[in-house]
Amino acid sequence: MQKRQQRAVPERFVVRRATLYFDRFMNQFIKVGGLSVIVAVSLIFVFILLQVFPLFRGATVEWRKDMPVPPGQYVVMGTDEWSELPFFVNAGGEVLFVDTVDPGGPHNRGHFTRTPGLADEATVSAVAFNEMQTQLLYGTVDGRFAIVDVQYKATFPERGGREVAVELDETPLLRIGREGVPVRKLAYGGSGVQKLVAATQEVEGEFELHAVSLAQQRTLLGAGELSVERSYDLTEFLTGEPEQLAIPRDADAVLIGNTDGSVVYLHFDGQEFTRRQVFVPFEDREDRRIATMDFLLGDVSLVLTAHCGANRVYSIYRDPEADMRIWGHTKTFPDLDRGAVFYSASMRNKAFLIGDGRVASLRYGTTETIRWQEDLPVQATLAALGPRYNRLLFLDDQYSLHFYDLHDPHPQAGWRTFFGKIQYEGQATAEYSWQSTGGRDDFERKLSLVPLIIGTLKGTLYAMIFALPIALLAAIYTSQFLDPAVKRYVKPTMEIMASLPSVVLGFLAALWLAPIISNAVPSVLSAMLGVIVGAFGIGYLWGQLPQRIRMLLKPGYEFIAFVPFMVLIAYAGWHLGALAEQFLFVVEDPDTGLVIADFRLWFPRATGLGFEQRNAFVVGFVMGFAVIPIIFTITEDALSNVPEAFRSGSLALGASRWQTAVRVVVPTASAGTFSAVMIGLGRAVGETMIVVMATGNTPVTEFNPFTGMRTLSANIAVELPEAPYLGTLYRTLFLGAMVLFLMTFAVNTVAEVMRQRLREKYRAVE
Amino acid sequence: MNEASPDSAPAVDVAQAVRQRRVEVAQRKPEADADVNLQHIQVCNYSFFYGTTQVLFDVNMDIPERRVTALIGPSGCGKTTLLRNINRMNDLIDGIRHQGDILIGGQSVYDRYLEVISLRKRIGMVFQKSNPFPKTIYENIVYSLRVAGRNKKAELDETVERSLRGAALWDEVKDRLKESAFSLSGGQMQRLCIARAIANRPEILLMDEPCSALDPVATGKIEDLIDELKKEYTIIIVTHNMQQAARVSDRTAFFYLGKLIEYDDTQTIFMNPAEEQTEAYVSGRFG
Ligand SMILES: Nc1ncnc2c1ncn2[C@@H]1O[C@H](COP(=O)(O)OP(=O)(O)O)[C@@H](O)[C@H]1O
Ligand SMILES: [Mg+2]
Repeated sequence: MQKRQQRAVPERFVVRRATLYFDRFMNQFIKVGGLSVIVAVSLIFVFILLQVFPLFRGATVEWRKDMPVPPGQYVVMGTDEWSELPFFVNAGGEVLFVDTVDPGGPHNRGHFTRTPGLADEATVSAVAFNEMQTQLLYGTVDGRFAIVDVQYKATFPERGGREVAVELDETPLLRIGREGVPVRKLAYGGSGVQKLVAATQEVEGEFELHAVSLAQQRTLLGAGELSVERSYDLTEFLTGEPEQLAIPRDADAVLIGNTDGSVVYLHFDGQEFTRRQVFVPFEDREDRRIATMDFLLGDVSLVLTAHCGANRVYSIYRDPEADMRIWGHTKTFPDLDRGAVFYSASMRNKAFLIGDGRVASLRYGTTETIRWQEDLPVQATLAALGPRYNRLLFLDDQYSLHFYDLHDPHPQAGWRTFFGKIQYEGQATAEYSWQSTGGRDDFERKLSLVPLIIGTLKGTLYAMIFALPIALLAAIYTSQFLDPAVKRYVKPTMEIMASLPSVVLGFLAALWLAPIISNAVPSVLSAMLGVIVGAFGIGYLWGQLPQRIRMLLKPGYEFIAFVPFMVLIAYAGWHLGALAEQFLFVVEDPDTGLVIADFRLWFPRATGLGFEQRNAFVVGFVMGFAVIPIIFTITEDALSNVPEAFRSGSLALGASRWQTAVRVVVPTASAGTFSAVMIGLGRAVGETMIVVMATGNTPVTEFNPFTGMRTLSANIAVELPEAPYLGTLYRTLFLGAMVLFLMTFAVNTVAEVMRQRLREKYRAVE
Repeated sequence: MNEASPDSAPAVDVAQAVRQRRVEVAQRKPEADADVNLQHIQVCNYSFFYGTTQVLFDVNMDIPERRVTALIGPSGCGKTTLLRNINRMNDLIDGIRHQGDILIGGQSVYDRYLEVISLRKRIGMVFQKSNPFPKTIYENIVYSLRVAGRNKKAELDETVERSLRGAALWDEVKDRLKESAFSLSGGQMQRLCIARAIANRPEILLMDEPCSALDPVATGKIEDLIDELKKEYTIIIVTHNMQQAARVSDRTAFFYLGKLIEYDDTQTIFMNPAEEQTEAYVSGRFG
C-alpha cells in the first residue's frame, strides 16, 4: 500500500474520475430501474389482489343494542329502509311502531300504536305480510279482507338529521269467499296490472279456497279505488288442509301448501285457474310436512322448510320435458333443528334470514351458502332483515328487540359463483353463466367467469389457428427462400401491419368484414381451402418441372410464378363455394316456405348450433391480423439470426433450401420461434378492442366458430363503466383481470421454461 | 461408383481437355451426370463480381484429380470466393455475377441441366470455422444421407463408422455418438466436419483454411488426414500457412489481388517460382 502511494501513476494510465463516477452511477441506475419494474409489476398484482380479496370474506354480524317492546301477541314484524322504526302486528291487527334511534334520548319517540280503521268494523281473523311491498293483509271473521300499506317516509326535522315517519294506507274491506265465514289464511300478489288475493276458510269442518282478482280504477289523479273484479272458488283444487298460501307479484299463480306435505301450483292466466303441478318438496323425508313456504326476492323461488328442519329452495323454470314453467327443486341448505319459526327475505338480493328460534341463519339462495349462522342467546320468535341488507332484528319471547349490524357487501361472491355451475332462477339445469345486469331490480346476477375464460380461449384459439401457420410459414419463407432484395420490403410492411391500432381492425371487422364473411361462408371457406391445397399442389408441380424451366426464375423469386395461380385458385374457390352452397346448403325458409340455399340458415338447422354475423371466425381472422406481424417479425428475426455457418453447412452437404430450413434453421431458432408464438398468444389472450367490436359479446361456453364470445378483457372493457365502485361486479371484474393475469403469467412461465430448455439444446458454439 | 484409376499426370493441354470433356458430356443424359466419376476441375477465364466489385480476374486453372491443390495468397485476394464458386455456395449472395466457366468433369457448374443440389452432393466442403449442427455427433454425420432420404439404420451406422475412421476421429468418439457435437474440442469438431463432408462419399473436397483456428497437434492430425484422403478425393485447400501448403499439397496456386499469379507444382512454387511476387510471398517478405 505504502509503496504504491509513493510511485506516481503516469497520466496516461489514470482513469478519469468522471468515467468512474459515471460507470458507478449507471450501475446503480440500472439496478434501481430493474428493481422498480419488478416492484411496479408486483404492486399491480397486489392492487388487484386487494380489490379481489373482499369477495371471499363472509358476513360479519355485530350486536348493537337491545330494547324492550310492550308485550303482545305479535304475528308479523317488519321494518323501514333504515331500520329505525320497525313495527309489530298482533293477532288483532294493531300495528305497534318502536323507535329504535337513540333509545332514551330526547328525540326518541318511544313506541306508538296505529290501528287500521277496518279493525273497528270487523274483527281481524288473519294477518299476512307481503314483505317486499311492506303491505299487510287483513282477513276478517265475516269473510272480507283489506290491504294495508305501511308507508314509511323520511322527514328532515329542523333540528337536523333524519326522522322516519309512517302512515297506514288502507283499502276498503272487500268480500272474499263465503260471507260470514272467517278467513283463516290469505295471500296477496300484484304489482302490475293484475292483482290477486286468495284466502282459505273452514266451513263446517271442510276447507275451502277462494280467490278474487282485483281491479283498480285509474283516474287522472293516479291510482283509484280497488274493487273486486271477479271471484273464483278454488276449493276443487284442494287436496288436503291448506296451511300455506303464496301468490307471486305477477299474480299469475296461487301456491297452496297442504298439511300432507304437497304443494299445489295453480296457474292463473288472467281469466281462469288451471292446476299445473302438484309436488311434494320433502318427498324423500320421513316427515314431509311443510313448516314454512315463502318467496325469495323476485317471487320465482320458494324457500321451504319442513317440520323436520329440512330447508330447500324450489324455483319455477321452463321444464324441457313438460314444456312449461313448473317448479323444481334447485337448492338444498343444511337442516335446521325443526321447521322455521321466523323468515325474512332480503329486498336487495337473494339472501334470507331464517331460524328455528335458537338458531339464526343468513343464507344465500343463489349459491346455497350460509353467509352467517349463530346460536342466539335468546329464543327468537320474529325476525326482520333490514331492507338495505345491513341490519338484523330479532324479537325474543321476552319481548326484547335485538338489534344487529350486518356487514356483507358481497353476499353472492364465492368460488362456486365464479367457477362453479349454478342453476340460476329460470334455468332448467346448472350452468356456467355470466349476466351481470338485468332489466329488473330482483334480477339474479350470474357471475361465472367460466364463459369468459372459455371465450378468451376461444378467441385465442381461432386467432392462433389462423395466425400461427401463416406467420410461421411466412417467416420461414421470408428468411430462407425469399430473395434479399424483396425481403427488404416485406419486413417493414409487416411492421406497419403490427402498428395498426386494434380499434381500427375491430371497426373493419365489425362493419366490413363480418357482413361479407357471413354472406359467403362457403365461398370464404372454399377459397381458403383452395389456397392451402393449391399451395401444396403448385409447390409439388414446381418441383416436378425440369431444371431448365425452373432456371428461368432466380431462386427467391418463385413467388412470381406462384402468385397468379394462387389468385386464380382463390377466385375459383370463391365461386365454387357459392356454387356448392346452391346444392349442399339448401334449407326451407320457415317464414316464407320457400326452399333457399343459404349457409346461414342451413348451419343452425343442420348442427343445432347458432350462427351469428359477428362470430369467432371473423374475430380469429382479424385478430390473426393483429397477431401475425408480431409472430412473423420475431420469428423472422430468430430465423435470420441462425448463424450463416449452419445454413452453408447444410446447403454444402446437398440439402435443399427446405431441408435446410426445417432440419437446421428452424430447430436452431426454436427458442426464438417459441417466444414469438407465446408473445403472439399473449397478445391474443389480452386483445380487447377487436373482440369488443367484432363479436356480439355474448358469453358462451362452446367453441362453435360461427357464434361470438366474450373474453375476459372485453368483459372488463364493456362492464367496468357500469360497475358501481367497489361493488360486487366491480370486484368481480378485477377477479377477471386477475384470472387473465394468472393465465398470461402461466403461459409466460411455461414459455420461459421451454425457451430456456430449447436454447440450451440448440445453443450455438461459442 | 467412384472407382477410377488414379490419374497421376496433370493435364497439360487445358483447352484440348476441355473440348474433349465437353464432347463426352454432350453425349450423356443429364440425369447420369452425378454418377460419372469425373473429379477433374477446370477454371476457364473465370471472373467474378460482388455487385460492381470484381474480385476474380480471368482465372485459368486445371486442377488434377486425386491430388491436393493449395490456394495461397494474402487475405482478400479471392481464394474463398473461388472455392465457394466451385460448389456454387455464393449463389445466395445478392448481386453476384460471373464470366467464364468452371467445369467439373467437363460439365459446367452453371449448366442449366444441372441441379445445384446434386452438384453440392458431389462436392464436400469444410469451412474455415468448424460448423457442426446443434445435433448429436451421429446425426451430424448422417445428415447428408438423411436429406437424400436414406434412413436405413445399417447404412447410417456403417457410414458413421467409415466417415469417422476416415476423419481419424472414430477412436475418440465411438462411445459418445449420441452426445451433442458441441461437446467436442475445436480440433475434434473440425475433424467431425470433415467426416460429415465425406459421409456421402463426394468426389471433391473443398477446404477453406481448415486449420486456421486449431492448435499444432490438431493441425498435424488434419494434415495427416488430408494425406490419407487424397487417395480418393480431389482436394482443394486454402491455407495461409506456407509450411502447410508445402507439406500437404501437390500443386499450389498463388493468388494476388484476384489474379492467379502463378500455378505450378508445389515444389516449383516454393523452390523455384517463376514470378517475383510469388517468391516474395512464399519467402514471407509480404502478405
Ligand atoms: N459477400 C460478399 N460481398 C461483397 N464482397 C465480398 C463478399 N465476400 C467477400 N467479398 C470481397 O471479395 C474479396 C475476396 O474475398 P475472399 O474471397 O473472402 O478472400 P480470401 O478468402 O482470399 O481472403 C474481398 O475483398 C472481400 O472483401
Ligand atoms: Mg478466405
